[in-house]
Amino acid sequence: MGVRLFLTTKISTINRILPFTYILKVEYLVIVIFSVVCLIGGLLVYMLFYIYIKSRREKKYDKWRLISDLLIRKAVFYDDDQVQAETNIPVTDRAKKLMNKRHFRKLLTEEIVSAKKNITGISAYNLKNLYQQLLLPNYALKNLKSRYWHIKAKAIQELTVMEMDEYVTELISFTNNQNELVRMEAQTAIVQFNGFEGLSFLDAITYPISDWQQIKLLQQLAHARPVDMGIDGWLKSANNSVVVFALKLARNYQLFELHDDILQCLDHTNPHVRLEAINFFCEIYTEDTSDALISRYLKEDLKHQLAMIKAIQNIGSEKDVPFLVSLLDKDDHEIKISAARALTKIGKNGIALLKRHADDKGYPLDQIAMHVKGGLPA
Amino acid sequence: MKILVVEDNQLILRMLEFRLKKDGHEVIVTHNGREAIEKIEAVQPDLVITDILMPYVSGLEVVAAVKKKYPTGTPVIILSGMGQENVVVEGFQLGADDYITKPFSPNELSARVRRFDLSIVK
Repeated sequence: MGVRLFLTTKISTINRILPFTYILKVEYLVIVIFSVVCLIGGLLVYMLFYIYIKSRREKKYDKWRLISDLLIRKAVFYDDDQVQAETNIPVTDRAKKLMNKRHFRKLLTEEIVSAKKNITGISAYNLKNLYQQLLLPNYALKNLKSRYWHIKAKAIQELTVMEMDEYVTELISFTNNQNELVRMEAQTAIVQFNGFEGLSFLDAITYPISDWQQIKLLQQLAHARPVDMGIDGWLKSANNSVVVFALKLARNYQLFELHDDILQCLDHTNPHVRLEAINFFCEIYTEDTSDALISRYLKEDLKHQLAMIKAIQNIGSEKDVPFLVSLLDKDDHEIKISAARALTKIGKNGIALLKRHADDKGYPLDQIAMHVKGGLPA
Repeated sequence: MKILVVEDNQLILRMLEFRLKKDGHEVIVTHNGREAIEKIEAVQPDLVITDILMPYVSGLEVVAAVKKKYPTGTPVIILSGMGQENVVVEGFQLGADDYITKPFSPNELSARVRRFDLSIVK
């Protein structure tokens, strides 16, 4: 009672000294300070809890990494100098138990795949055995059914690196997947497993094959043994990128027998196809090839015209000299330079005609003639 | 033989370390070129195995540093990826003694290292 009376007296004294609004402000201030302190306290508790969980997780991951390292090392150096086709790599009970944990499986798979990328020989063979022994392909196959494209692409890459060619049929359908990266991984996988025969996906593919992917596939095929691929069929594909890729294959493997089929590609509606066909004729030709190029010259744009002149430079003969000489009178300097260069390569008659023409016309042909004959720096 | 191994891929580094130790070598590992260059003088290795593509300081700089420090001794083996022929040529120009292309066979690595083991050669 005494305390209550004391407080009431005090408050009434303060009320007399300070106005009511001021006390209200003080109360608000106390509430704000209290809230901030609570917030900071909560944040601190959260941070400490987060650090604790994180360090626990890190410790767990370190332990797992050690277990997976030991397992991989065991596989890589397992009976070093002997191929163990039938023998399993010894796996500890602890590792076996951990295989039920998704995160451990993910970590181990990533490490096995990474090691396999860097190792060849018996060690790589042992890693492949370990991968199979731990039934990891099953999880990759399960990931192929994921609705996320990146999980699918990763699973395909994993199966490719681990040389799981027995699952090639499961991968074929992905070569025409709507996602470009999934498609690329699947095409790479099929070609790695089946070499040239793997290119059969080109029969059905409706999506375009990017330039980069075409380079990658050609690079992969460089190590494979060429077989009859049915390129003539791909040259008639409705997918323009398949036609372009088929033309690159024909050029790379010097498929002379496709000369007449490729001549038809010079009239293709797609400019990339026509350009690739012109490039094919830089190396593979008959005596009539240059006539076929010349007859189509006027229908083409500058880029294609320059490619045609370059092809004629490589495959042309004396009979093409009048055509090249006629180009020297064109307005475009690039055409003039290319034609002059082609004339110097075709033969003595070409050089003589270029010289005569340059003498007659003067600037800039005289300069161009000097330039292509090496008289001027490039 | 005392071997300094420079490789930024932890897994490969541990595998190299394990294999070389198994072959009876003393192995010192570093995770990047800068660390390797700092260690060369203190360690005085009999052989250096270095990866080419590493952050901060490349394997080529490690080759140059080793050859500058030990012009007549301490052979260097470079680890290169597929399609890095130009870098390998550059490595040889800087004085590298051998190269191994990734992916590599640990047995091949072992055999190549043995070539530089003077105690065996003699």
